Amino acid sequence: MKHLSEAELIECFYNKNKAANRASRHLERCVSCAEAYAELQNDLALITPAEPPARDAAYGARVWASISASLPRLEERKRRWLRISIWSVLSYASACALLISCAFYTGRLWEHRQPPITAAKQSPPETKQRVVLVLLGDHLDRSERLLVELKHADADSTEMVSPLRDEARSLLAANRICRQEVKQQDDPALAEALARLDHLLAELANQQDGLNAAALARLQEEMNSNSLLFEVRVLRSRIPDQKPAENSRSKGGAI
Amino acid sequence: MYCMGKNDHAAISAILAGDKEAYGELVMRHSQSLFRAAFRITGNEADAEDVVQEAFLRGYRKLESFESRSEFGTWIYQIAVRCALDKIGGHPADETSRVAGADDPEQDEIQVADGAAGPDRLLLSGEIAALQERAMRSLTPAERTAFVLRHMEDRTIAEIAAALGIEPNAAKQTVFRAVQKLRSRMAPLRMKR
Repeated sequence: MKHLSEAELIECFYNKNKAANRASRHLERCVSCAEAYAELQNDLALITPAEPPARDAAYGARVWASISASLPRLEERKRRWLRISIWSVLSYASACALLISCAFYTGRLWEHRQPPITAAKQSPPETKQRVVLVLLGDHLDRSERLLVELKHADADSTEMVSPLRDEARSLLAANRICRQEVKQQDDPALAEALARLDHLLAELANQQDGLNAAALARLQEEMNSNSLLFEVRVLRSRIPDQKPAENSRSKGGAI
Repeated sequence: MYCMGKNDHAAISAILAGDKEAYGELVMRHSQSLFRAAFRITGNEADAEDVVQEAFLRGYRKLESFESRSEFGTWIYQIAVRCALDKIGGHPADETSRVAGADDPEQDEIQVADGAAGPDRLLLSGEIAALQERAMRSLTPAERTAFVLRHMEDRTIAEIAAALGIEPNAAKQTVFRAVQKLRSRMAPLRMKR
């Protein structure tokens, strides 16, 4: 059996009201620990609380009288703190306002001294040129497909002919934009080809009563005589492909 | 104006609102209990009165930090214990009442504090009182305070720890050391029983 240490006996002495105390249960069974505990009780019983000298009912009032004069009013302290706080807050606010004003004024001055940035400056010519090339390439692709379809079109098949006319109307608008862009560039071959394409597209788009065999034959002849399809293909080949990396990636992916 | 007779929290609210006189109610209500504890720790009436005044002054200065969840009585009691501890820490033993050989337990049996003691005054009760006083003075301020709070004021270990500003386990060890020392000092009386 493990006996209780002095520390446990002392703890048991001061917590004797706790019935569930493990030490209390041990003391009921262990004679030697019970004797040691009785000795501890006797020792501590000798140490009686020192009885303080009696203080009359007016003692509290005397204590208050002795200290009240030296106590400041808390509200006054609070108000003083509040005054300091308001002043410091006002100082900070003024400093911040001054700083913001200076920054704003400096910004305005700096802005006036800087030359205005125009849209033309913002977008360099290379970028514009690249956009024109992309549009032109796309337009020539679509025109080439239309001319191929026109070359192999059959006047008896209205299902095939009708979309040709619609596509021609769409291409006609795009072709005029391209011609305007090309006018600014020194490229007479491209300008002439687009002019002939414009003529063909206009005729195809303006077929009000549908594309009959005679009209189709005439357009095919015109296209062949001008070698328009060939010329469009040549012009298209001059324009660099915009998505080479993407194409190579897709090919690599297929492998 | 604060109305006398209200509870501690109402008085504190009034004080914080600027009614200084409301603190007088708290002083009058808790002075007796603070004096009792202070006297038991310091063992001196004048010191105990100083401790009570100092505790109330410190309490007033710290009143804005008082948390309304706790009891003012417990709070000001802890402040008073610390003031008392400061007091006995400043001069832990009253040298004028201390006799030679106070640290020698073997001499406790034959020497008491009163130098004019004659054989007729060596009654057992007087001997016990003298030995108890000497034994208490042999404790460190922290041990003395912890023991007084535990043994005489019946405070819990948690309350003692809070009052001394230490961990509960440390407070328990301090009480334990104090009891050990006191028992050692009081051993001569054990022989006589």
